[in-house]
Amino acid sequence: MLEFSAVLALVVLTVGAACSLKDARISLATSLLALAIVLAAAVSTPQLFMYVLLVIAIGVLTVFSMNVKENQMSGVDYALVALITVITVYVAYTSDIAFVLAAFVIASVPTYALIFVSTDGKPHVDVAIKYIAFMVLATVLFIIGTLLLVYSSSVKDTVLYTLGFVMLILGLGMEVGCAPMHEWVPDVFSAADPLPLSVIASITKIVPFIAAYKILLLTSLPQLNNLTLFVAFIAVISMFTGNIGALTAKETGRILAYSTVANMGYIIATLAVITSKNYLYLAFAGALLQLIVNAFGKASFFASIKTDGCSRPLMYVLALSFIGLPPLMGFWSKFFILTSLVGAGLVWLAFLLIVNSAISIPYYLRIARNLAKDTVPGKVTAIALVASAAMLITVLPPNWFINVAKLVIGGV
Amino acid sequence: MMLLYVLLLPLVVTFLTPLMRPKLATAVSAVAFLIPFAYTVYGLASGLVVKIPVVDIVRPIGKFYILGDQVSFSFALAICLVSAMVALYSLPYMAHRFEEMGKELESEYRKYIFFYNLYATSMLWLVFSGNFIMLYIFLEISLLASFLLIYMYGYGDRRKVATLYFVWTHIAGMLALIGFLMTAAANGSLAFDAIAKIGFVAWLLIFLGMIIKLPGLGPHVWLPWAHAEAPTPVSALLSPLTVGLGAYVILRAYLISPWFIKAYTMPIFVYGVISSIYAGFMVFRQNDYKRLLAFSTISQMGYCLIAFCLGTYGIMAVIIQYISHAFGKAILFMTAGGIIANYHGLRDITKMGGMHEYIPTISNAALLGFMNLGGILTVGMFGEFFILKGVVDTFGLDISAILAVVFVFIISGLYSFYTYKRIYCGKPAGYEKVKVNRLLDTPLFIIGIVSILLIFPPLAAILLNAVKAVIAKVAIATIGGVAP
Repeated sequence: MLEFSAVLALVVLTVGAACSLKDARISLATSLLALAIVLAAAVSTPQLFMYVLLVIAIGVLTVFSMNVKENQMSGVDYALVALITVITVYVAYTSDIAFVLAAFVIASVPTYALIFVSTDGKPHVDVAIKYIAFMVLATVLFIIGTLLLVYSSSVKDTVLYTLGFVMLILGLGMEVGCAPMHEWVPDVFSAADPLPLSVIASITKIVPFIAAYKILLLTSLPQLNNLTLFVAFIAVISMFTGNIGALTAKETGRILAYSTVANMGYIIATLAVITSKNYLYLAFAGALLQLIVNAFGKASFFASIKTDGCSRPLMYVLALSFIGLPPLMGFWSKFFILTSLVGAGLVWLAFLLIVNSAISIPYYLRIARNLAKDTVPGKVTAIALVASAAMLITVLPPNWFINVAKLVIGGV
Repeated sequence: MMLLYVLLLPLVVTFLTPLMRPKLATAVSAVAFLIPFAYTVYGLASGLVVKIPVVDIVRPIGKFYILGDQVSFSFALAICLVSAMVALYSLPYMAHRFEEMGKELESEYRKYIFFYNLYATSMLWLVFSGNFIMLYIFLEISLLASFLLIYMYGYGDRRKVATLYFVWTHIAGMLALIGFLMTAAANGSLAFDAIAKIGFVAWLLIFLGMIIKLPGLGPHVWLPWAHAEAPTPVSALLSPLTVGLGAYVILRAYLISPWFIKAYTMPIFVYGVISSIYAGFMVFRQNDYKRLLAFSTISQMGYCLIAFCLGTYGIMAVIIQYISHAFGKAILFMTAGGIIANYHGLRDITKMGGMHEYIPTISNAALLGFMNLGGILTVGMFGEFFILKGVVDTFGLDISAILAVVFVFIISGLYSFYTYKRIYCGKPAGYEKVKVNRLLDTPLFIIGIVSILLIFPPLAAILLNAVKAVIAKVAIATIGGVAP
């Protein structure tokens, strides 16, 4: 059932993309159809349904955010975004390293094309070259790291294992934009078109983290206990670089870039808990929820930049969710992360995370203020409305999400 | 179950009032808090203790439940009455504020009353939370609502002030959150009835967080700004109710695991005395009425810190001090607002004088408020009495401790009546006599009358019996305490 639906979705996407040369609307329809097929197939695994639903929701939002303005590859871009969404759903179902690596690549490569998108007819070539160079390097590091981890865990070689771990984390950090490998993020985010950024800053961040979690858990050696400190340091550097950068940045696009760096810092911090049996699931639940918050929020913010602003209350809901105010979703993600860090004995890291979340308050309010304007019905308002509604689904404590996260990380 | 319905009432009303016209919305909000007020009086009188389970979360967090015991009811007494009265007061005041800001009353009031009710309701729910995380959530919701109210309707550089307030209080909350989480990791639950002990670092973090919120000397920098620049009805909730909730959180932690306060009695006592005296002296130097009241808040919260160190009687004093300060400061902020609304933003005390001539009703209400602060003929009297009793019990007849506390009391009394004299007595400053809107003075008198009624039977007996029930629990939980 699952395999069949995956193949069917891919076929529909391909046909749609091919037909889009005639009319871009065909591809829009087929992309949505493919996502609907994936959602329908997910009914067979009710335990994971909420994850699939949230990812599909993000996918549909990002498809529509590409649709906000016509661009030079309208049509194909919907299919590429849908492809990333489909792979983000299916990576949860596997615990096969080869498939996980494939998913990592598939989630990354479509963005190489998307980054060229512009709405004024001239493709953003220089930004794209920079982005692609970093991404290729990241992917190579990640793949080599994975291979080293797999090999060294089977022969129990701790030196190679350490090397593999470091390469994997560096690759991951570069892919998602953790400091000190974040060089490309501010440049790309302020120079590229906001439309592809609403994809690159949001949904593409999910797969790399799930992949890293799965690979590290499948190849774990006792040596891993000594290595988590490395992750913790990267997390701290990333949080501070991101938040201080965002605090001092002027343009909204640049603030969002640094905010991404900071958010990736919070998320990568959870990898430091990976050796704690009791708190691993809570940590992963926090990471996944934070990724979802980030995806909803960034997709809406970038789409709003394209139209010079969006409805005031919606912008504030999203900004406050990023700040982490209960009962919005952003609170629960940070809360799960903090609980797992404290539980695993990393109180100092939790403390620094809190310092950072306080630093972040002024600039999130500034984003909301920069983008806020009176409500006008339109595509962007609809996108932000759905995203804000998603932030509110956690008014009741999201217990269920921990169980979902357990399954995502374990494969079905 | 009755308690749940009573608590749900203001919550439901919060979401309904934006749909109503201003007058109706105000009346409905006031009633929505007066009904819980009546219920808390009943709860105190009958010695009610209720637990209503809400939802069970995964292991290190534990179950959420609504806990209505005598501590909750005592705090809720103050919260309900002040929220109801300030809601009535909001209508004429905010009408004046919107006019000043060039906004339309009808549409702006919808937003205002929603956030106002959300703010008050979250504080009410906070004192009925039976789990530290649930408590934290309501703490943050109250922060959010009050932040937005300052951000939208404050005075001066309101956006900066609001952000300052948000950052400080958010840090306070987050510090406490780490403390809670460490407790969770050690005990496997954060439900009040499932925690065995709060460890040192966790206690320290909770205490530090709440010292920022309370605030003590040092982290108090945000308070004069936030309380002075907030729109006055919001100041009248911020200062009387919200900051005191810091004391509530410490009290909850104390009732579970009192060792921290007991181990560090002396430093906390000295710190409390110093912050109270420092803030008391600062009051004399202020020329802005609202800023003056803000410093007086710091001084009064110093009382709470002092009281924590004084054993079982001290705990009685914390609760009564919270109530008396809430009543007194709510009245005083509303008098400040009354002057602002009637005299077009007049806040500068040097331009006031003999105001009794022009606004006799507000002046009389202010007298009631200052009596509450000074602990004269109002519920504040019990607070000071129990603090002194606690000092004698804890330190014996140590003359320096008694003198320190008496000095603190004298400063409060002095600045209260000195301020009263500066503003309302003396040479009239030459304003027009105005007709004061009834909603700008009646609510003040209602609070004032309740605060006086609380020192006479039957209300006095109800309150004191309830507070005694609390300290009987303290005496059981801790060895060495003596229940009266």
